This record gives sequence, structure tokens and C-alpha cells, in this order.
Amino acid sequence: MHDSTWKLNRRAFLASHAGGLGALALTSLLHDDKLNAEEARRHAAVTLKPKAKAVICLFQHGGPSQIDLFDEKPLLRKYHGKPYPGGALETHFDKQAGNVLGSPFKFMPYGQSGIEMCEHLPCTGAIADEICLVRSMNTESVDHEQALRAIHGGKLIAGMPTLGSWVTYGLGTENANLPAYVVLGDPGGLPVDGERNWSSGWLPAVYQGVPFRSGPSPVFNLQSPDGVTGKMRRNQLDLLASFNQSFLNRHPEKSDLAARITNFEVAARMQLAVPEALDLTQESEETQKLYGLDRPESEEYGRRCLTARRLVERGVRFVQIFMSGQPWDTHSKNAEQLTKLCQRTDRPSAALVQDLKQRGLLDDTIVMWTGEFGRLPISQGPDGRDHNRRAFSLWLAGGGFRKGYAHGATDDFGYESVKDVVTVHDLHATLLTNLGIDHRRLTYPMDGREASLTDAEVTKCRVVEALLA
Amino acid sequence: MFSKEILLLFGLFSADPAPKFDEHIIPLLKRHCVKCHGPVTAEARLNLSTPAAMLRGGENGPVLRPHDLDASPLWKRIAANEMPPEDPLSTDEKSLIRAWIEHGAPGLPTAAALAATGDGHWAFQKLMPQNAPEVTQMLLPRSAIDRFIQADLENDGLSLGPTADRQTLIRRLSYDLLGLPPTTTELQDFLNDGSPDAVERLVDRYLASPHYGERIGKVWLDAAGYADSNGYFNADSDRPLAFRYRDYVIRSINADKPFDRFVREQLAGDELIGWTPDMPITDEVIDALIATHFLRNGQDGSGESDGNPDEVRADRYYTIEGTMQITATSLLGLTIQCAKCHEHKFEPIPHREYYQFQAVIAGVFHHENWIKPNERFVLAPLPAERAAWEVRLAAADEQAQQAKQKLEEWLTSHRPRGKIVWSDDFDGPPESLAERWSPKAPDDDASGGEPAVALNSDVAPGARIAQGQLQVLEAGTAGSRWLVTKQKFDWTPDTVGAAIQVTFDLIDRRVDPSGTPAERTAYYIAAHDFDDSGAKPGGNLLIDGNPATSTTVYLDYPGTDQKQLGEIGTTPYAGGRNYGVRITHQQDRKFLLEHLVDGVPEEKTLTFTADQLPDGAFGYEFCCGRSYIVDNVVVETFDQPQEIETLAEFLKNVQPLRNSLSDAAKQIAALKNNPPGKLPWAVDLTPNPPSVQWLNRGDYGSHKEPVGAGPFSALCDDDKAWPDTPAENARTTGRRLAWATWVTQPGSRPASLVARVQANRFWQHHFGFGIVETPDNFGLSGSPPTHPALLDWLSGEFVRTDWSVKSLQRRIVTSQAYLQTSRAFGEQLNTDPDGRRYTRAPVRRLDAEAIRDTLLFHAGILNDQLYGPYIKTDRAGNGEVIVPEKNLDFARRSVYLYQRRTQVVSMLQIFDAPTIVFNSVRRTPTTIPLQSLNLLNSEFVTKRMLEFTQQVFADKRTDDERLQNVFVRLWGRTPTADESSAAQKFLTTQIAERGGSPEATRQAWLDLHQMLFAASAALYLE
Repeated sequence: MHDSTWKLNRRAFLASHAGGLGALALTSLLHDDKLNAEEARRHAAVTLKPKAKAVICLFQHGGPSQIDLFDEKPLLRKYHGKPYPGGALETHFDKQAGNVLGSPFKFMPYGQSGIEMCEHLPCTGAIADEICLVRSMNTESVDHEQALRAIHGGKLIAGMPTLGSWVTYGLGTENANLPAYVVLGDPGGLPVDGERNWSSGWLPAVYQGVPFRSGPSPVFNLQSPDGVTGKMRRNQLDLLASFNQSFLNRHPEKSDLAARITNFEVAARMQLAVPEALDLTQESEETQKLYGLDRPESEEYGRRCLTARRLVERGVRFVQIFMSGQPWDTHSKNAEQLTKLCQRTDRPSAALVQDLKQRGLLDDTIVMWTGEFGRLPISQGPDGRDHNRRAFSLWLAGGGFRKGYAHGATDDFGYESVKDVVTVHDLHATLLTNLGIDHRRLTYPMDGREASLTDAEVTKCRVVEALLA
Repeated sequence: MFSKEILLLFGLFSADPAPKFDEHIIPLLKRHCVKCHGPVTAEARLNLSTPAAMLRGGENGPVLRPHDLDASPLWKRIAANEMPPEDPLSTDEKSLIRAWIEHGAPGLPTAAALAATGDGHWAFQKLMPQNAPEVTQMLLPRSAIDRFIQADLENDGLSLGPTADRQTLIRRLSYDLLGLPPTTTELQDFLNDGSPDAVERLVDRYLASPHYGERIGKVWLDAAGYADSNGYFNADSDRPLAFRYRDYVIRSINADKPFDRFVREQLAGDELIGWTPDMPITDEVIDALIATHFLRNGQDGSGESDGNPDEVRADRYYTIEGTMQITATSLLGLTIQCAKCHEHKFEPIPHREYYQFQAVIAGVFHHENWIKPNERFVLAPLPAERAAWEVRLAAADEQAQQAKQKLEEWLTSHRPRGKIVWSDDFDGPPESLAERWSPKAPDDDASGGEPAVALNSDVAPGARIAQGQLQVLEAGTAGSRWLVTKQKFDWTPDTVGAAIQVTFDLIDRRVDPSGTPAERTAYYIAAHDFDDSGAKPGGNLLIDGNPATSTTVYLDYPGTDQKQLGEIGTTPYAGGRNYGVRITHQQDRKFLLEHLVDGVPEEKTLTFTADQLPDGAFGYEFCCGRSYIVDNVVVETFDQPQEIETLAEFLKNVQPLRNSLSDAAKQIAALKNNPPGKLPWAVDLTPNPPSVQWLNRGDYGSHKEPVGAGPFSALCDDDKAWPDTPAENARTTGRRLAWATWVTQPGSRPASLVARVQANRFWQHHFGFGIVETPDNFGLSGSPPTHPALLDWLSGEFVRTDWSVKSLQRRIVTSQAYLQTSRAFGEQLNTDPDGRRYTRAPVRRLDAEAIRDTLLFHAGILNDQLYGPYIKTDRAGNGEVIVPEKNLDFARRSVYLYQRRTQVVSMLQIFDAPTIVFNSVRRTPTTIPLQSLNLLNSEFVTKRMLEFTQQVFADKRTDDERLQNVFVRLWGRTPTADESSAAQKFLTTQIAERGGSPEATRQAWLDLHQMLFAASAALYLE
């Protein structure tokens, strides 16, 4: 069989499985001849037994304070107000380093597993037996932008493809009528480092996160022009299809011409599918309450968590929730700000895990709650904390991750991860593994290299087996 | 998720067709084998990174024999999971290798071909003369290019295709050379041109068009990583002068500047022309300086870098490394970045040489003498520019003088006088000072207080009268010594609108003309207690007049703490003007404190309560070791209705006079802030190169040893030495020019590589793919050329014709390979499925810029003005990045839009315009639903089609004529019978659907036009 026939046959096969992978290959992820090389690469990478098929990342911009939320350090209280006994710490703002700052929060064990967390995380506490808490994270920079790039794209430099882009490049989508990678932005504005947080870098633009906004036009160009009714649009699309079919007939070997025909139909379907997916009035009052939609402090964040569930339910591969600015960047009034942020996020985050579980979706959906780095055990000014790249905490739930487990440890002051340390590259490798992707093989050519997210050759990262169920 | 049956399906089929060498086999080997069996670590002397080396085999002989699995150790070791030792290949990967060998290892060169290229890597060899081969089946022998291609085809009984029709050709040429569709007149003329050289003459016309540089310049701008922002940090701050580099590139391409010169200018334009600040400025000088902006195209966060010293250092290194990467990929097609940390695993680039290359540009990016990105500019105005600026400045100066004089005259005659309740006695004898002034510091704090200042004394702190003026002689830095009036004033006038003011002339900020000017001219109001008559809360309002900025107000009673209340006024304190403050009762016992300059209140004010303003004296403060001269101290009140009204009237009338003075001042400031000839550049600051460290594992803190500048040894010629370092008295290190000369030296190996990379780049521009498929990688790990002799011939001709890009492109686009039809015939789809053997022209989608520019063109509003500052873009409320249409320049060509890294115009991005990280050497056209949504629903597309429709209806035509006309305009050809009847049928239905009115008819036509533009026939070049 010749190459072109092979392509056509494969296409026919995939088309008959529309809605699954077929839809992926035929529509949103179909390119020109380059596709074959891309498919070959992708195919070579998706070789492992998948435990999860979707990811929801609740990203906590600014660097949540691990020692006030997840990682209790009694010594901090003992040394409170005294000089840090361990010598100089690496700070971001050099000249403002103060004495040890103890956490004013109470910690308590939660659930059967008895994972200790702070008093302001009661709802996360209620799902303690579902989560895998990692207390021994580290990263490579104390600068926000660089640390954000490390956790999203694996490198400190701007412009790398992000995790969501790599995952959708590897796995495509299961619902061609919705984007594969959706970003639920904060109505309050862009996070620090803006759209780079979901950039596809030098991967093709199709793998870029698509921001959904609140309001009537969640994606731009989603609404038909004024006065164009469904019937008129149908006439337009039929005419266009007939033109495009005759063009395709002149060049049957050109695969993207066929994709272009299909794409106009997909676009029309997207116009209906996106608003439907975002329509929270379809949710019961009970569900809405679970996410804290009845409470002013958690309503907005809750809406986005609930939307994330609806998207994953409909086959979206990767959903990311961001916060405006970098609210967890508590350089001053650390305790006061953390309390407010917990009120905003604790209930909706936990609700998402509970809701996914009760709908049977948690087994193949990964929920990840993380920031870009942690904070220092000493004070900055009277009541703030500066950046810390040597230690931070995050939690994972579902999708093949161990339940009711706390991994690793930091030193006695929570300054540095010392036991079972997990790097951001290890995290990426482990996430990809759970999605069935061999992180060393998911590559794309960049400046002459087969570049990857984890760059295992250089970063020496590994899959953290202990985190896996 | 890949389901089981799909994996199975892939497995089944992957064993059947021949896997492709470039697409399947090379990436697979690179991923799994080349780390140990590559050019650097060739274990068992086996190098699997290049086709040639693969064919040669290792120390145990050949590793594979086409068609024969059993005779291929490569396969046997892989099949037995012996190789790779730690991580065996997956079943699918194995079947790819097996199928490839079974199919005869297609893509691997024959032993004969190998011998011809010699032992070294093909791309690193000098260009040798290439003779176009003899061919037998040439239908249309248009050019030597065709003979190279035909020679390959003939072996399989194939041939280049017939020439495409004229309407297809003009569209192809117009878009490829200008980025725009042909006009209908151009189309008609070309169709009617019966001469045999019609194509050649059309090409020459296009090459001569100024819009040629806009399209082809963009090819280089992408490769050079041009952007209008600094990137790196969240701020992604602006590069306001970068557009001058963009214009330089467009200008150079339009002028067909020899490419070697173009390269030397961009690396070392300043060194090339021997730049000195006093040399006469000409257009050539300006171009040579702007060209060096090439070296600062990379991301540069150093303007915002604010972290700890390690972070700042890393931020700077990133800038240098980005520049190195852009230079290496755009000029040499080399990937060097791996050698930052270790010996390059795939290329013959040693770790050390990465730092030698860094040393070439380290003079520009000097660690100890770092220049922030937007401070990298030079002032080099053309004489005419400078003269014009000076004329404007002189005019503005003149205007300011006139306005000032007018204001002063008016003030003299109109300044309102209230009731003078106190005036100085400086015209009296020296002794009179003590009669009305107290030298004693009010004791607001401690018993005894500060000692008094000396009156009529030359000893500081002191005060004396001389020439009818008061000299304040200060010493030391301690405060709390005052000279105050012995009279108290009521600083809280009772009536609303009533005021009290104190003013004085500041004669000079120095008593002694050779002395240091006073740091402050500070004075008090509501200063009580000079006679120890008892303390009340409030008072002692210090007005701290600053010679550089606005005036600060402190309240310093009671207690020791001075409390800063805020700032008033905007005019700094300088000798020769009248200063002071006025307090006006606003309402409800709130009092407004205004700063007066020449009797005129200024904008910044403060408000006080009566408690803060007890009755008290006026006085000068002694502080801060400086002295000054004052005169004409006057305290006035305005508390009669007549006085209050006069004051209001005065303020109303003085405003326009003040405005014209401040307008003139603003104009002067603007001119001075924007001196003429401000050019972006990137040059060495000193002739002494900074120390460049060879870094252990690329770690900025871990130094191996210092290194000097040097070339890449893999490209060095035996007979051509690295040029010497610069002459004496040079202004720069000379390293950039040395490297630039090395890399463009005629007949050298590096220049041969530069020529190949550029020839391939322009070939790729015309075909959508290069002769080498990896434009950024001509190294051992890159793709081998599909037509090596053709590439070398083309590159040789490029050099021979004085590196003329226009000649190169002319050669390409007048070849049969380019001019042939894109329709596939007969067996072609089987023998040349992807068209890489050139049996037909490729069908290519328009690039993003062409799509946007074409819409503007069809709308009849394309503004074809050349050059200039970038056109601003904006992020709309819905997140879409657009060019606001209220901006008069919005209809300019896309190459002039703001190229902000984090704000790519959404429509361009959707159609694959790159987000510039380093640079972009190839765009991969995608087909995604967002493109469909854009074409169907976007306001930009709909508006342009509405404008097009209005034009169409402005001409009187029958419906049939109109239908023909819109097809020709939007598709460049008349419709087929089927297309025509489909359109007519659509119109009938859509007009009815839209209600049947004349307006409905227009709407339906608009719908038709929009679908015509969204159709593949408009979006693709056939």
C-alpha cells in the first residue's frame, strides 16, 4: 500500500470513530503534511498504561506559604522573633530579611490518614484521605516569572510550551467541539506573566490554552455576526463546503484541505457547545452549594471549579484555573492574607475533588493544587514572608495518585526540602507518566534538538513512584 | 487516549508502508542511540547521527544492509533488546526500524554518493562548482535548477510538470514577492501579454516594487528574532526604537544590499565603518549603526531585573545566550546551545568554543558595565535632521521667552495687592534689622532652646542687610534656628474667600557668587513663641523649598517629631523669581495652602484646620549649610469683598498667560527629550574586552578558565587564519568585525555555510519547505538536503552574483520547478506523494500577514505607506488582541504592527504568526477551528467584506457581471459553471432568508463575499 493510500485509509478509520480519537485527528489537531512527523513523535511517546486522561490544575499564583498551610514547624514558634539560627538564607529582596516568624495558625490532623494541615483548610482537611500531599518540592528560582516558567514549562526562560500544551500535544482531545486545553481566567485580570502561563511556545498554536471568559462571549469570534440566523449560517456553510470540496477535488493529496472543510462544521458546533458547557444553571442547588456558590467569599472561585468539572466531563483534556496578579505573594500581612485566600479557595477546591469522586470521574482525572514556590521561615518586614525556592508544598488528587498520603519533608524550619525531594521536573515526569506518556519520548523539534518538557538528559528527573497509587 | 485497537492499527500499518528516513528513522535514532553513538561519543566508533556515518558503520564494519535484516547488526541488536542497553525500543519503534530496512533503507545514501561528498559533513565543506546535469526528458528546460531536479526524476521515468496557467502564476508570484494579491489591472495585463518573457518581466516589476522589501524583509526579520518588546519579565517592556531596525532590513532588501555586507553590518556595522562620534553623519553611517540592533533582538529582562545578585547575573546571561542562539541559527544553521553545558552531543562544537563565541559579543554585553536595553542608543542625526531640530528648539525657546515676558509684564501691572500688613525694612540701615526681626529660635522643645542667630554679622549662622537685601548665612546641618518677624499674623482669615499671603523675591541661592547654591530655601509661617509668650498646639509650618522638585510642607510643633504633611506647588526654587504661600479660607474653617510663584498659585495644594494654624510670625530657617539672598518680604491680606473679587479676577486672567508659558516649556522639554537621530544599536563600549569565563556545566557561578574570542573549529579553513585583533586606538574590541569577516570571507567554509543557509531559506519561502528541511539545523543532526548538488549550485550562484537576494529569487521563481502546475497527474501521487521531488508545485496556504493585508486590500483601505514607528495594538475586553480602528494607521500592512512578544495580534496568531521567543525560521501552517471562527464571525473580517461589498455595489453592473467580477477579485479567476450556479442558488435562497428587500440583497452578497474569502480558493496558492 502506498503512503497516500495509507493516510486515506487511516483517515476513514478514524472518521468512523468520531467523538473519540477520530475527532481529534480529523479536526482540531489536523495539520498539513507535518502531521505525520508529529503523529509519529506523539505515537512514540504515548506508550504507557494511562491512569488518568484529564488534568485540572488549580494554580495558586504568588507562592503559598507552605509553613503556614501544609507543613507545620513547631521550632518556628519556639524561635519566633529571634534570629534564624542557620545562617544566611537566600532571599529575593536582599535587604529586608528579618527574624524567624512563627506561624500563628493551629495545625491539626485530618481524616483517617491524619495528615496535618492548617486550621484554615477545613474543607481540604475533609478530603485529606483523597489527596497526595507533597511537602518536599523545590524549584530553581526565587523570581516569580522564572519560577512560574519552571513549573509550567520546565525552563526558566520565557516562551517554552507549557504542561497543558505538551499534554494536549501528546493526547489530543476527546471532544472536538471544545478546545482541548481550556484556561479559566480570573475575572479580576491576568495573572503575573500573563498568557505565557498557558502558551504553546514553539509547539503549534493549536496546543495553546484557550482562555474562557465570563460573559456572553467566552471565546472571541464565537458569536455569529448580528442578524445571521441559524438558517442563514447553514446556507453559508453549505456554499462554502461546495467551494471547498471542489478545491479539494483538485488536490486530493492535500490533507489539510479536507480538514478545513470539517473545521467549518466544527466551528459552528463549537458556537453551541461552549455556552452549553459553561451554563451552570444546569447544576443542582446542592452542587452549587457544595462549591460555595452561596457564599460571597468563595462564589467566584467556586464557579470556575464547577466549570472545570463540566469541561472535563465533556472531554476537555486540560483545564487550568488561574488567579489575578499573584495573591499568595504575602510579603506583608502574611497571616491576614492567607486567611482570606483560604476562605476563597478551600471550599471550592475540595468540592471539586468530592464532586469528581461522586460522579466517578476522579479515577481518571488528576487535580493538582500548587503555586510556583514557597516562602521563608523568617519575616520580611514585621509580618510578611519572602520567596523560597528550596521548599514548597502542593497536593494532587485522583488519576492514579496515592490517597491519604503525605510525601517527603523539609528541615526543621521548613527552609529546604531534605527528605524525598521532588523537583518540578520530577513532578512533570510523574504527571505525564500517569497520563500514559513517556516523558523522555514526548518531543518536538526546536532549534535542531528533539526538545521535551522534562529534558531528562539535562535535568536528570525521574518518575516519583512513591506518589503513585 | 489511544485505544487498544488504534495502537493495533498503527502497529499494523506501520509495518506495511516504508517509514520515512527523515520523519521516522532519524528522530528515533536521535532519541535512543545518538547519545552513545554520535559524533562526539562514538562508542565502538559508530556514529548514527548522519546518513553517511550510518552507512560507514563502526569498528566492526557496516551495521545495516538494505533489504536484509539478517545482515543488519543494527536490527539484530535492537530486536534482541541489547540496544539501547537500558531502555529498549517499544514494539512500534522496532517495527519502524524493521520496515525501513526491509524496504531497502530508503533515504540512506549510496556508497557512491557518499564518496562524492568526501569524508566531512556536507554542509561544512567549501562550495565547489556544480555543473547542471544533462537530462534527456526535459519538456521545458527553463533553468539550471530544472536540470538538477529533472536528473533525479528521470531515474524513475518522471518529469517536471507543465506550466501553470497565467492567473495561477500571477497570484503565486504576487503573494510570494509582495505578500499581496495582484490588482485586476495587473491580472488583465499579464493575461494579455503574449510575449515569451512575460513572466520574467512581471517578476522584474515585482522585484522593483517597494512592497517587495516588506514581504521578503519579514523573512529575515523572523529569522533575526525581531520584536518591539523586551520580553523575559511579565512587564514585556517596550522597545520604542526597534522599528528603525525593521525599516533598515526592509530598506536593505529593497536596495538588494549584498547579503554578505548585510551580515557584516548587523554584526559589526560600527566597526565596519570605523564609527567615531565626530564623523559626518550620512545615510550609510546611520544604516551601519542601526544594523547592529540585530545583536539586541533577543529577550532582555535586564531593564527590569531587581532580584538578588545571582538573579541579576542570570538575567544578563540569558540576554547574551539568546543573542548567540539567534546568531548561530539564523546565519549558520547551527544549534550551539547544547555546548553551553558540555561538549555538544550531536555537533562538532566543543564546550569551550561556546564561550569563545560568547567572547565575540561580550564587549556589547559587558557584565561589569551593563547597559539596560532601552539605554542602548546613540545620537547620530543627519546634518539636516539636526538643523531642523535646532530650528524647532530655537523657535520654542523664542516662544517661551515671549510668553515669559508677557506674563511678567502683565504681573507687574496686574498683580493684585491686598492690604499690606507687613513689609520688610531691608532698605534701612543694618541696625534696623533688629527692630523688626527676632534672631531667637522659638523654644518648642527643651529649656534654653537653640542659641540665637547673629544679626548684622558675617558669622554664620547669621543674617545681615546688604545692598537693600537680606543675606541669610547658614552653617552646619542642624536646624531649629530661625530669623522671624517680631509681628504675629492671623493665618486663619474669618470670611470665606478671604486670604493672607506672604511672598518674597529669591534673589540668589548663593551669597557668594563662587559659593555652593543653597540646598533649600526654607521658611516658616504660623511660627509662634519667638518671645517665649507661651505655647499653643499647632503651628510652625515649615515650607521647604526645593531647587529640584516641588515644595514639601512639615508641621513641627509641638514635640520633637517633625511631621511631613505633603507637597505643594510644582516649580523648583531658583534665583530670580518671587515665591511664597497663600492661605485662603475655603469653607467650614478649612484653609487652603497654595504655593505662589510670581504671585500665581500652583496646582498642588494642601488643606489645614484652624488648629494647625495659630497666630504666629513669618521667618526663615537656618539649616543645611547653605546661604541665600532674599528681598521684598510682604505679608498681605485679602479680606474685603473688593479685595477678594480682585484676587479672583486676577486668577482668571492670568491662566491663559501661564498656559502659553507652560506649553512652550513642555515643547522645549519634549524636543530635548527627543533629540534628533536617536538610533538603537549594540556596540562595544571600550576596546578592552571583558573577561569571559568558560563555565562549568553552564553554571554562572562556576568558572573553569577565561577564554578569548574564536571561531568554530569545525568550520575553520586551513588556509585562512582567524583575523587579528584590532588596530591601536580602536574604540571597540574589534572582535565582532573579526568574526563577521571570518563568516563571510569569499570561498571560505563558514561563508559557504552562510550561503547555503540563506539560499535554502529563500527556497523554502517559495516552496514551503527547504532543500534542507531543517532551516535552523545544517549540522550533523539536521536533515540532509534532498537535492545537494542543486543547493550547492544555487548557493554558489548566490555568492557569484555578489550575494544578491533578488537574483537568487529571480532564479528560483523563473524555474519550471516553481512555475509548473500544482495539479498532480497520473502516478505522481505514488512516486512523489509529498511533492518533495518537485513533480508539481506545492499548494500553500497564505501566511497570516497576507491574509490580513489581503482583507484590507479587498476593502479598498490598505494604507501602503512605507516605514515608521510601529502601529499600536490593544487587548480588547474579550481578550482579543486587535488593531484599534480609531487608529488612523490601522490599515497599514501587518509588518508594521506592534510586534510585542506577549501581545501578538490574535488574528495573525491564529493563522500561525510566531510568538517570538528566540527567532522563527519556519512557520508550520495549521488548520484549526479558531481560523474558521475568525473567518465566519470576526468583526475585522465582516467589516472588510462590508467595505468590499459597498465598492462592488458602487459600480453599475448586472448581477451576472457582478458575480464574475467578485470571483475574479477574491479568487483571481473566473468561476467554473458549477461554482457560478452554486453562488447564484445561494444568493436566491439567502436573499429570501434575509427578507427580500434591497438591503437583504446586499446582505446576501456580503455573505457570498465572505464565503468566497473564507474558501480554500482564496486562502491557498495553487
